[in-house]
Amino acid sequence: MLSVEHIQKSFGSVRALRDVSFSIGAGSVFGLLGPNGSGKTTTMRTILNILNPDAGHVTWNGKAIDRVMRRRFGYLPEERGLYGKMAVREQIIYFGRLHGLHEPEAAKRADAWIERLEIGTYALRPAAELSKGNQQKVQIACAALHEPELLILDEPFSGLDPVNADILLAVLLDLKAKGTTLVLSSHQMWQLEQLCTAYCIINNGETRATGTLAELRAAWPTRLVRVGPDSQALRGAAAGLGATIAGSENGDLDLNVPANSDFAAMLRTFVGADSIVKFEVVEPSLHDIYLRAIGAAA
Amino acid sequence: MNDFITVYSGDLMRRIKSRPFIIGLVLGTLAIVALIKLPTMLAPTIVNQGTKILIVADARIAAQARPMLAKTLTVKGVVPAATTINRALLKRFDADSAVSITEVKTGIRVTIFAKNPTSVPSGRVRTALLPLQVQHSTHLTSAQIAAALNANVEVRSLSTKFHSVHQAEAAQGLAMTLVVLLYLLVMVNSQVVMSAVAEEKTSRIAELLVASVDPMVLLAAKVLVGATLSVLQLVVWVGMGIALGSGAGSAGASSAAANPFSLAGLLGNTLSPEVIAAFIVFFILGFLQISTVFAGVASLINRTEDLGSVSGPMIIPMLVGYFIGILAINAPSLPAVIVTSFVPLLSPFVMFARMAVTQVPPWQIGTSIALNVLALWGIAWFAGKLSRVGMMLYGRPPKLGQVWEILRSPS
Repeated sequence: MLSVEHIQKSFGSVRALRDVSFSIGAGSVFGLLGPNGSGKTTTMRTILNILNPDAGHVTWNGKAIDRVMRRRFGYLPEERGLYGKMAVREQIIYFGRLHGLHEPEAAKRADAWIERLEIGTYALRPAAELSKGNQQKVQIACAALHEPELLILDEPFSGLDPVNADILLAVLLDLKAKGTTLVLSSHQMWQLEQLCTAYCIINNGETRATGTLAELRAAWPTRLVRVGPDSQALRGAAAGLGATIAGSENGDLDLNVPANSDFAAMLRTFVGADSIVKFEVVEPSLHDIYLRAIGAAA
Repeated sequence: MNDFITVYSGDLMRRIKSRPFIIGLVLGTLAIVALIKLPTMLAPTIVNQGTKILIVADARIAAQARPMLAKTLTVKGVVPAATTINRALLKRFDADSAVSITEVKTGIRVTIFAKNPTSVPSGRVRTALLPLQVQHSTHLTSAQIAAALNANVEVRSLSTKFHSVHQAEAAQGLAMTLVVLLYLLVMVNSQVVMSAVAEEKTSRIAELLVASVDPMVLLAAKVLVGATLSVLQLVVWVGMGIALGSGAGSAGASSAAANPFSLAGLLGNTLSPEVIAAFIVFFILGFLQISTVFAGVASLINRTEDLGSVSGPMIIPMLVGYFIGILAINAPSLPAVIVTSFVPLLSPFVMFARMAVTQVPPWQIGTSIALNVLALWGIAWFAGKLSRVGMMLYGRPPKLGQVWEILRSPS
């Protein structure tokens, strides 16, 4: 299990991390969310021991992360980099060796990854000759060749076309199935929702919300109730229940109600007030929770 | 240790196979060959430039002057004093200049009419005609003059390092060559290390590397790859020099001594094991110190275009060391030279220069090496701190205040 406890980090007068805490169960996929400059990358670098925190600590399975342990982790930074003049296969093998693999094993795995990522045509060509998307695939192979226990991916989907994004998604699901713990950040919420089992939303270097989507939703104070068709009678009944009108769309009425409302009683009230054909309790999306957590929306 | 070996071997192979290294090795080797062979080939041309002369004088003076001048110059002919001197006359005798000699009250007057005044061997003419001048001013006989002019001067060496003036002069020439070589090797290869670090940072591969390898290990591997390649270059270049030098030695040991331009002669005759050892030790110390500083600073920059501006100020200590090293060759006992031969960053040049031309007490050599090793440790700490944080620092280049904060920070 990865445990991040109250880490703080400053660069001169800039406080990059004020107080970030979360924990991740082994084998889970964890989404680290936050706007640009919120401290996601600094958090990732701190987990990898690239940066030492000024306060707080990070442990993996109860132990502080050291140099030896770090070799069992993998990392795909947001800003990608490869040796431009080095051949793709050679490059993947080199990074495998840096993570403790012996040359023959690294070569065997490199060939498997090259095939899996459909970059066989470029295996012997210098990395600089590849498109950005294909370079990104090479970087993913470099990060995951040694089958890391923990793989941290900073914006792994950025720059990938839909086909390559699907290939990456499949690769990540495979890794998850093999037991690799994944930590990833992305601005594409729908991709995260497909993959992640838990999340941490940070802003201004602080944890704003953390937990599974169900836990995050449970902590959401209101629910949206969509009832229709919209009518004065329905609006009157809603006012009587203390609901606030959020809007009206496609002939339906959207209402904000407290999360702990008695929805069955509410349905009975609306049925009694008018003839309705729709009653739907809409759970907040990850996007809604994210916006609210970072203070961009109430 | 495994990390270090992986990074070191990977980087070494990448650099050995790189075009700049291969080109540098080949061009450097060609330059060494040229440095050794060309002077030997060009020396006769340079030494004999402008030496073909035509004597313009009365028959009596011409008869006296001709054998004197013929000792060091090529006399192409003799014409009477009344002859008009012009380019056509020189062309007709295939001469570079006309030496007009006339008798005057105080001796002789010599006027040289040259096609190219910059290559007139006036010194040789003056020396050659000195007996004639004395003869005409004193009216002594030739034999008396020859005896009077032949002062018997002998130099006996009290130095334990050199047994003759020739050997000491050759050592000075060699020291000069080696100090220049030392400076070039340290400067060029330190900048190569700097570029390699900057390239990894600007290409953003550094973040991937430091996620698995300690930045200090990366830095050390990079610097030691630079040192290995420099030693490899050195071995090839000096080996080529010695091979050509010894070849020239058997072909003409005497010609090497007579030829002031012969590097082959210098290398073949005066490159002692002690000088070789001192060169290698101080080259490694100088290279490690300077390239480590360069590598640390390179980790702070964000664009390879900034390399020049940050390396400029760092070259100053090297230049100071180089110039004091050159000074040390001629004045190895100057207090300033002795003091700076203990100052890290400068001493690799200065102490080596002293050792090449004089007998340096062993305690001074030991102290200098110890201080350099100690300084290297401090420089590695400094560069490691810069590198650990600098590698992850993007955006605007850090100001001095920020660099100070980096050095004070725990990581």
